[in-house]
Amino acid sequence: MDSADVVVIGAGVSGLSSAYRLAKAGRDVVVVDKGIVGGEASGRNGGMVSERVDEPALIPLAVEATRTWETLADELGYPTEFVQQGRLQVAVTEEEMGALHSERDNALRHGLHAEMVDPPEIRDMIPGITERTLGGLFFSKGGHANTQLAVQAFAWALQDLGGRLYQNTAVTGFQVVGDRVTAVETTAGPIAADMVVAAAGPQTGLMAGLVGVHIPVAPARVEILATAPIEPLTSIALVGNGLYGHQAVRGNLIFGGGAHEWADVDLTTTPGKPNTPLIRSIARRLAELLPEVADVPVIRSWAGVVEQAPDYMPIIDILDSPSNYVVVTASAHGFGISPATGKVVSDLVLYGETNIDIGGLGLGRFANVSPNWRHQRGWIPAPNRS
Amino acid sequence: MVVGAGAAGTAAAIEAARAGVQVTLVDENPIGASMMALDVPQFFGRRAIDPLPARDEMLERVAAANSALAEAEEAGVEVQLGTSVWGAFRNSDTSRVLDGPQLGLADAERSWMVKYDRLIVAAGARDLAMSFPGSGMAGVMGANGAHALMRRYRTLTSRRMVVLGSGDLGLNTAAMAQDSGVEVAAVVDVSPSVRGDEVLMSRLRATGVELCMSHTVKEAVGSAGEIESVVLVEIDDCQPVAGTEKVIAADAVCLAIGLVPNVELLGLLGCDLAFASERGGWAPVHDDRMRTSVDAVFVAGDAAGFHDGMVLDAEIARNQGRLAGLAAAESLGAIDRDETLARRSELQAAAVDATSADGHSAWQRWHRSLVNAGGMNVFACPCEEVTRAEIIGLQPPRYLGLGSEQASRRSLRTQARNNPVNADQVKRLTRAGMGHCQGRLCREQVSLLLAEESGADIADIPVMSYRPPVRPLPLRVMWPHDEPEQVRSEWPKWFSPTHRVLG
Ligand SMILES: Cc1cc2nc3c(=O)[nH]c(=O)nc-3n(C[C@H](O)[C@H](O)[C@H](O)COP(=O)(O)OP(=O)(O)OC[C@H]3O[C@@H](n4cnc5c(N)ncnc54)[C@H](O)[C@@H]3O)c2cc1C
Ligand SMILES: Cc1cc2nc3c(=O)[nH]c(=O)nc-3n(C[C@H](O)[C@H](O)[C@H](O)COP(=O)(O)OP(=O)(O)OC[C@H]3O[C@@H](n4cnc5c(N)ncnc54)[C@H](O)[C@@H]3O)c2cc1C
Repeated sequence: MDSADVVVIGAGVSGLSSAYRLAKAGRDVVVVDKGIVGGEASGRNGGMVSERVDEPALIPLAVEATRTWETLADELGYPTEFVQQGRLQVAVTEEEMGALHSERDNALRHGLHAEMVDPPEIRDMIPGITERTLGGLFFSKGGHANTQLAVQAFAWALQDLGGRLYQNTAVTGFQVVGDRVTAVETTAGPIAADMVVAAAGPQTGLMAGLVGVHIPVAPARVEILATAPIEPLTSIALVGNGLYGHQAVRGNLIFGGGAHEWADVDLTTTPGKPNTPLIRSIARRLAELLPEVADVPVIRSWAGVVEQAPDYMPIIDILDSPSNYVVVTASAHGFGISPATGKVVSDLVLYGETNIDIGGLGLGRFANVSPNWRHQRGWIPAPNRS
Repeated sequence: MVVGAGAAGTAAAIEAARAGVQVTLVDENPIGASMMALDVPQFFGRRAIDPLPARDEMLERVAAANSALAEAEEAGVEVQLGTSVWGAFRNSDTSRVLDGPQLGLADAERSWMVKYDRLIVAAGARDLAMSFPGSGMAGVMGANGAHALMRRYRTLTSRRMVVLGSGDLGLNTAAMAQDSGVEVAAVVDVSPSVRGDEVLMSRLRATGVELCMSHTVKEAVGSAGEIESVVLVEIDDCQPVAGTEKVIAADAVCLAIGLVPNVELLGLLGCDLAFASERGGWAPVHDDRMRTSVDAVFVAGDAAGFHDGMVLDAEIARNQGRLAGLAAAESLGAIDRDETLARRSELQAAAVDATSADGHSAWQRWHRSLVNAGGMNVFACPCEEVTRAEIIGLQPPRYLGLGSEQASRRSLRTQARNNPVNADQVKRLTRAGMGHCQGRLCREQVSLLLAEESGADIADIPVMSYRPPVRPLPLRVMWPHDEPEQVRSEWPKWFSPTHRVLG
C-alpha cells in the first residue's frame, strides 16, 4: 500500500502551505486533491492580505502571515506577486466612518499600525477615487498577491522538497483502527498515514462526517470580476463601497463583493461555480468607487465556493478521536493567512501544539452548536426551482 | 430568444414566428470600432476603414447583407441589431436565485436582462487564429473577419491579400476577396494539393492566383506595425526546406484554415460540449432536432459545429435553423404534433450533410509547420504576449522580471507527470488566454501546443472555461440601471457578523 508520514487532503492554499512546512521539517508528505492545485477557492479569490482587525481572534495568525509573505517568494523559489503597499478601507457613509474609527481603536489596541486618512490623502493614494469618500483607515502592512501563482508556488516548493502531489484523486473514506486513522482511501487506492491533515475547504464537514465527527461549516458561492489591464493606478489593496479588491501587477482591476449564496457540495465532485447578474452590481459599485475607470471593459468574472463556520472564523484543531486527524478550514479568510496556517498546522502535526495564538480557533467553541444549525440560521440553499 | 441573425438564426426565428411563437432575434452587428480594434468577436486585423461609416449607415449595411431579415420582420420577429448577448444565466445546484433563465444583453450604452422560455443559439463561428512572426501586425486577419468587412460592412481597406488555407473556406474567401475588388496574390496550404472545391480552384487559378501548396508562412514583414509582405517557405513533412523562401507582397494575410463554433453562451449554460474534429473542434452535443443537453436550449448553424461545406452552402445552416425553430415551437406547444412531424420530416429530408471529415488534422499540420518555421519565441497569446516557449515552460509572466532558477526548471513535462494537461491551469500560470480578446486568438493554438508537447490527444485536454461577459463590456455599460432597490440596500459585507461593518 502507498504510504506517507502525513496525508494532506486538499491542494488548496491551506493544505499546500501545511504540506510545504511539513516537508521542510523532513516529513514524507502526500497531498491529494480531487481536482487540480488551487482549482477551488484558493485559485479564485481576491488575493487580499490583511491584518484582519475586524476579527480579533485572527490577528496573531494574520500578523504572522503578513510577516511571512514578505519573504515567501524567495523562500519558495517561485513568484507569488505579493505587493505590500498597504491596505486602505474607505468609508462612503457616516455609518461606515464610525466603524472605521472603532476599527482604528481596535487596531491600536492590538499593536497594529493603522492610521486614519482624510479625503485629500485618499485621493493621493488612489487617484480618481470617488469624491464621496468621507475618510479612510490605512494599514501599512496590508497588501495583495496573485492567488494562482502563490498556490502553485507552495505546490512546486513542496515537490522540490520531495513531497508528492496527487491531483485528480478524490478521498472517499478512512480506515480507522481504535482511535486512529490508519489509511486514507482514495480513488487511486488507499494511502497508509500516521497523520491526516484535512484541508478540504467546503467539503470539511462531509470529510469529518466520514470519521463520525460533526464540524459545523456551511458552503457558499461568491462572485468576483476582472477588467482589462489599465495603466498603473494604485498598488494599495482597497476596500470600500461594498467591494474589496486591487489592481493586479499586470494592470487588471480585480474586485469582488456582494451577496453570497449558501450551497451544498458533494464529497468527491467539483461544485458548479456559475456567475449571476450580481456581477452587474459589482461593476456598478466599482464604477462608483473609481469613476474614472468607468469605460474600462470587464473581461471576465468568476465564482468560488468557500465555507463558513457559525462564527465566521477559521477552525484549526486536532480531533479528539480519531486523534491523528488535524482539521483546517478558513471560513473565507484563508488566502491572506495561509503562510501562517501552514506553520500552525505543521506545529500541530509535529508537536501537538503551536506558539502562535490560535486559542479562538478550536473546535471546543462549537460544543453547543446543534446538528441542525444550518437550518436554524437559514444558511442553506434556496429551494431548487431551476 | 434567438442569438445570431446569420443564415441559421434568421431561419430559426422565421420558423418559430410562423408557428405562432413570439420571437426576438438579436445580433451584435454592426460591431463598434473599439471592439473591432480588439479583434472581438472576429479577427478583423485592423483593416476596416477608419473612421467607420456612421452607425446608421452601418446598421443599414448589416440589414442589407441579410435579405431574410426583412422576411423575419414580416413574420413578426422582433429584430434587435447592434445588440450583443454577453451572458446567459440559469439556476443550477449552486445558484438558485434567478426567477427563470435569462440572457444579459447590451448595446453600446447600456445593458439589460431578458428572460426566455426557449433559447436558440445561432451564434456562428469565430476565426481560428495561428501565430507566426509578424502576425501581430495590422493586416493579419481571419476568414470570418474578412467576410464581415467585405460583405456585411463593406469597409475592408486591403488591396492585395494572401489567403492561408485551401479548403472551401480558403477558396471561398479568395473568391469573395476578388469579387470585392481585392487582388488575391496567393492561396497557401501545407497540404500537397488543394483541399477544396475543384471548380473554385480552377476559377482562381485562371485569374492568376498562385496556389502555393506544401508551403507555410515563415514570417510576415512590414513597417510601422503594418504588414507589407509575407515570406513563405516550402515544407517537407511540416519541416521548412532551407533556401525555398519566397516573398509575396501583400497588405493582408487571411487565416482561412478553420472556424471554431461559438460555444461560449452554451458553455455558460452548461451544455455538453464534445470534441469533434469534423465539426470545428469543441462543439455542442445536440440531437437531430437541434436540442442541446440543457432543457430549453437549442443550437443551429456554424455554432452547432462548423465544417467547410457550410461555407459552400448556407442552406445547411438555414435548415438547421428551421429544425431548431420548429423544435422550440413544438416544445412550447405552439404547433400540433402532426403538423410538426410532417414539417420535420420535410426538413430532415432536405438536410444536406456534407461533413468534410477530419478538419482538425489540417489544423495540426498547419500548427506544426508554423512552429517549425517560426520557432518557439512567437506569441501564441498575442494580448498577454506569451510565447510558445513560455507556455510549455509554464514560465511566470515576464513582467515579474527574471524568474528564479527553480521556476526555470519547471515545464509542462514536470507538471504532466502529476496530472493530465489542463489548459486552464496553464492559463493561470502563464496568463495565456487571460487577455482582452478573451482567449479568442489563442485558445486553439494553446491546446494544439499542449497536445503536441505532452503527446495528449487534443480531445483529452479540457476546454478552457467560458465566463461572462463573453464580450468585453465597459463597467458603465454593465451597470444595472434596472438594479432592484433591495440589491442596493441589502448589499452585505464580506462574511462578517453584522455588527462589524467592513470586511
Ligand atoms: C471570490 C473569492 C474571493 C476571496 N477573497 C479572499 C481574499 O481576498 N483574501 C482572503 O484571504 N481570502 C479570500 N477568499 C477566501 C479564500 O479563497 C479561501 O478561504 C481559501 O482559499 C481557502 O483555502 P483552502 O485551502 O482552505 O480551501 P480550498 O481552496 O477550498 O481547497 C480545498 C481543496 O480540497 C479539495 N477537496 C475537497 N474534497 C476533497 C476530496 N473528497 N478529496 C480530495 N480533495 C478534496 C478541493 O478540491 C479543494 O482543492 C476568497 C474566496 C473567494 C471564492
Ligand atoms: C468566407 C465565407 C464566405 C461565405 N460566403 C457565403 C455566401 O456566399 N453566401 C452565403 O449565404 N453565406 C456565405 N457565408 C456564410 C456561411 O456560409 C453561412 O451563413 C454560415 O454557415 C451559417 O451562418 P450562421 O447563421 O450559423 O452564422 P453567422 O452567419 O456567422 O451568424 C452568427 C451571427 O451571430 C452573431 N453573434 C454571435 N454571438 C453573438 C452574441 N453573443 N451576441 C449577439 N450576436 C452574436 C454573429 O456576430 C453573427 O452575426 C460565408 C462565410 C464565410 C466565412
